[in-house]
Amino acid sequence: MADLRVNFAGIKAPNPFWLASAPPTNSGYQVQRAFEAGWGGAVWKTLGEPILNVSSRFAGTHFNGQRVVGFNNIELITDRPLEVNLQEIYETKKKFPNHAVIASLMVEPKQEKWHEIVKKVQDVGVDGFELNFGCPHGMAERGMGSASGQVPELVEKQTYWAKEAAKVPVIVKLTPNITDITATAYAAVQGGADAVSMINTINSLAGVDIDTWKTIPNVAGKGAHGGYCGPAVKPIALNMVAECARNPEINVPISGMGGVSTWKDAVEFMLMGAGSIQVCTAAMHHGFSIVEDMVDGLNNYLDDKGIESVAGLIGQSVEKYSDWGHLDLNYKVVARINNDVCINCNKCHIACEDTSHQCIDMLTSENGNAYLEVREEDCVGCNLCSIVCPVDGAISMVEIPNGEPMTWNQRQEAIKLPICNS
Amino acid sequence: MSSYAEFLEEKKKIDELYEKGYTITAVREDLSGAYLTFERSKLDLNDIEEKIELHILTADTRKYFSNLIIAQQKELI
Amino acid sequence: MHLNRVKDKKISLKDLRKNFSEFEPALTPKEAVEESNRCLYCYDAPCIKACPTGINIPSFIKKIASGNLKGSAKVIMEANPVGASCARVCPTEELCEGACVLNNASLPIMIGNLQRHATNWAIQNSEQLFQAGEANGKSVGIIGGGPAGLSAARELARLGYEVTIFEAKEKAGGLDTHGIVSFRLPQEISLWEVEQVEKLGVKIHTNTKVGRDIPVEEVMNNFDAVVLAAGMSKVPMLGIEGEEAEGVFDAIDFVENTKTPPLDQQFIGKKIVVIGAGNTAIDAATCSVRLGAGDVKMIYRRTESEMTAYEFEYEFAKQDGVEFRWLTQPIKIIKDKAGHVKALECVRMELGEPDDSGRRRPTPVAGSEFSMEVDAVIKAIGQTRYVNLIEELGLEHNRGVVKIDMNTHQTSNPKVYAAGDVIFGDGQGDAMVVTAAQQGKLTAYAIHKQLITDEATLESV
Repeated sequence: MADLRVNFAGIKAPNPFWLASAPPTNSGYQVQRAFEAGWGGAVWKTLGEPILNVSSRFAGTHFNGQRVVGFNNIELITDRPLEVNLQEIYETKKKFPNHAVIASLMVEPKQEKWHEIVKKVQDVGVDGFELNFGCPHGMAERGMGSASGQVPELVEKQTYWAKEAAKVPVIVKLTPNITDITATAYAAVQGGADAVSMINTINSLAGVDIDTWKTIPNVAGKGAHGGYCGPAVKPIALNMVAECARNPEINVPISGMGGVSTWKDAVEFMLMGAGSIQVCTAAMHHGFSIVEDMVDGLNNYLDDKGIESVAGLIGQSVEKYSDWGHLDLNYKVVARINNDVCINCNKCHIACEDTSHQCIDMLTSENGNAYLEVREEDCVGCNLCSIVCPVDGAISMVEIPNGEPMTWNQRQEAIKLPICNS
Repeated sequence: MSSYAEFLEEKKKIDELYEKGYTITAVREDLSGAYLTFERSKLDLNDIEEKIELHILTADTRKYFSNLIIAQQKELI
Repeated sequence: MHLNRVKDKKISLKDLRKNFSEFEPALTPKEAVEESNRCLYCYDAPCIKACPTGINIPSFIKKIASGNLKGSAKVIMEANPVGASCARVCPTEELCEGACVLNNASLPIMIGNLQRHATNWAIQNSEQLFQAGEANGKSVGIIGGGPAGLSAARELARLGYEVTIFEAKEKAGGLDTHGIVSFRLPQEISLWEVEQVEKLGVKIHTNTKVGRDIPVEEVMNNFDAVVLAAGMSKVPMLGIEGEEAEGVFDAIDFVENTKTPPLDQQFIGKKIVVIGAGNTAIDAATCSVRLGAGDVKMIYRRTESEMTAYEFEYEFAKQDGVEFRWLTQPIKIIKDKAGHVKALECVRMELGEPDDSGRRRPTPVAGSEFSMEVDAVIKAIGQTRYVNLIEELGLEHNRGVVKIDMNTHQTSNPKVYAAGDVIFGDGQGDAMVVTAAQQGKLTAYAIHKQLITDEATLESV
């Protein structure tokens, strides 16, 4: 049994799986149910001046019969008075003293507003704060959420104000609706953030109803952009976590989130530097009980790998993530088809023929059996065939020894002056 | 023609020049590919031209000559 | 057929009609979407090659997945004018589903059921999927409104021909309308396909048997080309004593009687013996069970391994509680005083050396005669041919199998083409509905080539 406990920027939790600040953490009832189900922590639904919500708030993106590959919402922060939330936070923390309860906060970018809310909330005994600089819809129109999270100076200032009043760790939650997330992450660090978390949701319009021509979701026939999350955003989130993790100037822990649905996703985020994992869509799709396999799967994975604690995972792949210019141009893989496993759907052939490098031939053997073969000399190792192949083990990408490494950067340097006599 | 065959053809031209004692002395790259200048020292000169330019098209050949340049730089060091 | 999908296998003696309603449930919309999304959309897909009509199966399945059901139905019906029937009656395990690459990885796609789903949509939405072509001034007469005849008619109408079908029965559709058990293929499916063809302007003269209700010469003289697609006739005589007894039925007639209400109540609780072990014999046996028979036996002079019924048909009959008596040959039907079947005398057989068909020849075991009590006997030992009609048309044939040129689909009379069961046998074709449909299509194209394309080519010279 591996040690799943985490100490994230000073916030302790029995495991790294935390519910993200979102509808699942709207009330004490929900958060307590989540802790009973096995979640290690919860970031309370964002506290601030109570708002008003619209009816019809969420939309799912479905793909090929699979529901919720993506999820869109236009719900705002808590619509309940601060005192009600604080009472429930207090009760929850009392019942679950060892679980992490983090309060998400959002107020106008004014020093006194931050001081006021931080002081009020920390009195009930939260383990930390998460500053919501990320929500892209609604609140942003009022200068909060992602509107302030897109401006590095505002991120820095507000972090600083929160830190002035906070006695517990402050996490800054960043918006992905920005060209370079390391800029705002760096601003948070400059403001004194104890940690950053990412990603919040991505600006989105889930769809348009092709019969009514109304947006999805629609409110009395009208729509407004929402925030996108769920499995589809995982690669975007993972990159942002990785970019921050490999940046030496962003030297604070990262809480990773964005499309985490299974323990495997969590392992990937941790390898790329996440010290805790936040989840929302998967819980909204399946209920709190999904955490059971996240915990169990992670535990078995660590045991299998002989790793004693989750701390042994965090950041292990960061050094493998670099700039394109540092990739070895001489590295060569080619596709190889295992005809014993291949079921002859020919998807690799047509994918390569129509959209890649025309190097998979459809052939017939002497005994009349159809088979596929890669002309390895023409294969550029793009992986497309192995991606579209429906059968595991039918196509493997095989490494071909190809001399000393040479990166683009090295090459550009070398060809400047081919004969350097110096 | 497969791009591999194109590569082999271009590679052959480069290899032949190297065999004759030429080395790449300049690389110019633009939208049309790479232009390599080959030169050989006057000591080896018989009666043929001492400077040759090759226009390289394929990506594989552009990797190939880059490797040659890096190798020749390493030798010099 | 996917027997595992059948939920209600009980036979009702109170309401026989229930027993004849479609046995395997249609896919629910959710099942159809899930199943269609499971299709790999193979390139150069083996299922297409395994379909005698060459339906672009991945294409129609993709269209179900994308919600384009009209397009899906059109892809199916384009290649196969009786595609709704074939969705239900094709031995898909031997054809498209048998060729599905997923057989080697998980489970094959339920292609037949998806085809049924898409064509059901077209039926329920009364979609007319095709239009007649611009009239080209040529006419074709078609003898027989079964799958082959309808298929030829549909394609000819689309090519601009004036087409007339002569159908002996009251309704067109042939085997699909009359001969395939209702719990596999409800009659309205086949009749929808007939309607689709009629809506292209094809005239269908029903109750019109060529040679009886209309002279052969008239048909021969009134059209630029004639297609013989009359199918096959009755079950032959057993050639045993007592065969004329009351209670001895022809399997084809027997099944046909179950296709339209009212259902015969006389078999409830009765003992029925079916002679034969082909697909029609199975149909007769399973219909017997559904008519409430108390005891249904199939007797066959060879063994399980020589029976010609499809594996899934055999399974189906076994699930229905049909008993099989192998190596049993009927030798005499015994009547009661009223002339009604009372018992069937049989003899046990043993298998000897292989005969012409490559199957081991059964020979009687001396002294093994025995008798079984029966209330009805159903003969299902194959079908006879319309030899008279073929001879009146003056066509070359071999024991009723019309000879054609496989390239031109012409018979010995170049004006007469033939398709479907009339050409089945002697190494020509297969006795499947889907094969008949393809032959009908190809015959239409062959006629077009002869009458229009070649003419045009000649004119242009």
